[in-house]
Amino acid sequence: MPTMSRSLAIAPKPRIRFRRVFHRFRLIHERPETLRELFASAFRARSRAQDFEALKGISFDVLEGETFGIIGRNGAGKSTILKLMAKVYKPTAGFVTIDGRVSALIDIGAGFHPELTGRENVFLTGALLGFSRREMRTRFDDILAFADIGEFIDTPVRQYSTGMYLRLAFAIEATMAADILLIDEILAVGDESFQRKCWERLRELQQKRWTIVIVSHDLSAIQQICDRVMLLDQGKILWLGEPARAIARYQNLLACTEAQTTTTV
Amino acid sequence: MLALSRNLIRHRELIWLLALKELKVRYKRSVLGFFWALLHPLLMMIVLTVVFSTVIRFPIDHYAVFLISALFPWIFFSQSLAYAVESVVLNGPLLKKVYVPRLVFPVAAVTANLINFLLSLGPLALLLFLLQFPFHTTWLYLPVPLLALVLFTLGFGFFFAAVNVFFRDMAHILQILLTVWFYFSPILYSIHLVPPAYRFWFRLNPMLYLLEGFRLTIYDGNAPPVWLVAISLLIGLAALMSGFFIFRHYDDAYAYYV
Repeated sequence: MPTMSRSLAIAPKPRIRFRRVFHRFRLIHERPETLRELFASAFRARSRAQDFEALKGISFDVLEGETFGIIGRNGAGKSTILKLMAKVYKPTAGFVTIDGRVSALIDIGAGFHPELTGRENVFLTGALLGFSRREMRTRFDDILAFADIGEFIDTPVRQYSTGMYLRLAFAIEATMAADILLIDEILAVGDESFQRKCWERLRELQQKRWTIVIVSHDLSAIQQICDRVMLLDQGKILWLGEPARAIARYQNLLACTEAQTTTTV
Repeated sequence: MLALSRNLIRHRELIWLLALKELKVRYKRSVLGFFWALLHPLLMMIVLTVVFSTVIRFPIDHYAVFLISALFPWIFFSQSLAYAVESVVLNGPLLKKVYVPRLVFPVAAVTANLINFLLSLGPLALLLFLLQFPFHTTWLYLPVPLLALVLFTLGFGFFFAAVNVFFRDMAHILQILLTVWFYFSPILYSIHLVPPAYRFWFRLNPMLYLLEGFRLTIYDGNAPPVWLVAISLLIGLAALMSGFFIFRHYDDAYAYYV
């Protein structure tokens, strides 16, 4: 009996749930070009719509405290999943439920304005991510310490070097108290010491039991850091589980397609 | 309506920061900075006053004051729309990456211009003093027409920001629309100068009622009558509700089209 209650107590709860999620994009040439078309399309049910199905009914959970990797070829649906997690998109069908606060490192510094100082951008980015000014103030010193840009914090960011820009942006996301961190290929940027710092920070966040979702083409990094890896292809899950096996299957898939293309050529 | 006010309260800090950013960015690298916000309407006032009180000679006393009492609010309206129409599109890269409540962008554009307008009231008062124009206590009523105009501006801001995402020509159409609207609104003239035969058509212009409140309080020194307050607030609310409805309707689609 005691063992059972214990296992119940530590059973991790899902932070992110996808249930039979479909995501469909309407292709761009369907866009209304003139005023007349605009009104027509607003009142008419979708006509000659050409759709592209990016996700074809996928279901999975991301558990609290785990680091979850997503791999797959270009166009497999990886970024669409991240955008659904970040609530940028809504699923065409199915359910996405997110339990907790999401911090998205999807494009570092997307909210920065070049004319504003580092300090102003920190507060603006914080507000865009949904943090109050009070929360930002209490975290500001941590952000500054991690970014390590010294007195440049009061200089307009257009004068920053790329490294400084990235460090500041990463510092904001990785310092703010979130439950879920979404990362899209960011660790491929910056110099070696910055990358090392990012990895250290990720390890720290893992220990703090943040839920981390990473999309990357860097397979060795994925293997090192992830608890579970999901392999996607053409909007479907091919494999979900142990990182080494997911990566092996992915390399297999790549080899197969390469062989196919060589034979057709 | 409830949804709108709830959102505005929840995101007030973000809206405020975005509005301040807008103003900072606008004036940051210019030497005269904020004075440009004043210089532009002042220059317009001088030119228009010279044209319409010495060249064309409208039978209006203190033409300069008569003019600015409606011109300043109009500039607030047109500048707000010019910023709001692009607000969602310009923040497209951001909208595609993180979830940000979209409605904050048009609201921030209007807020930034409202701050500009409020700051220009000080120099406006100084100008009246220099022109030796009597100061009316009815200035105290100003918040009423201002509220109606802000509601109206927000509604149109929402509408143009939404449409411009799908139909980029809207920003250009807006420019033309604003020019035409300017001349058909009683800013340079008053409704009494319009031949009676055409007056009916001029009265269909909602801007007439919105600007009349400003002119009454600043120029005529009269409190706006109850019917005028009621009608301008109604116009403002109706514009806001329909604009917000349209903006909300396309809320999920912006991330794909910006």
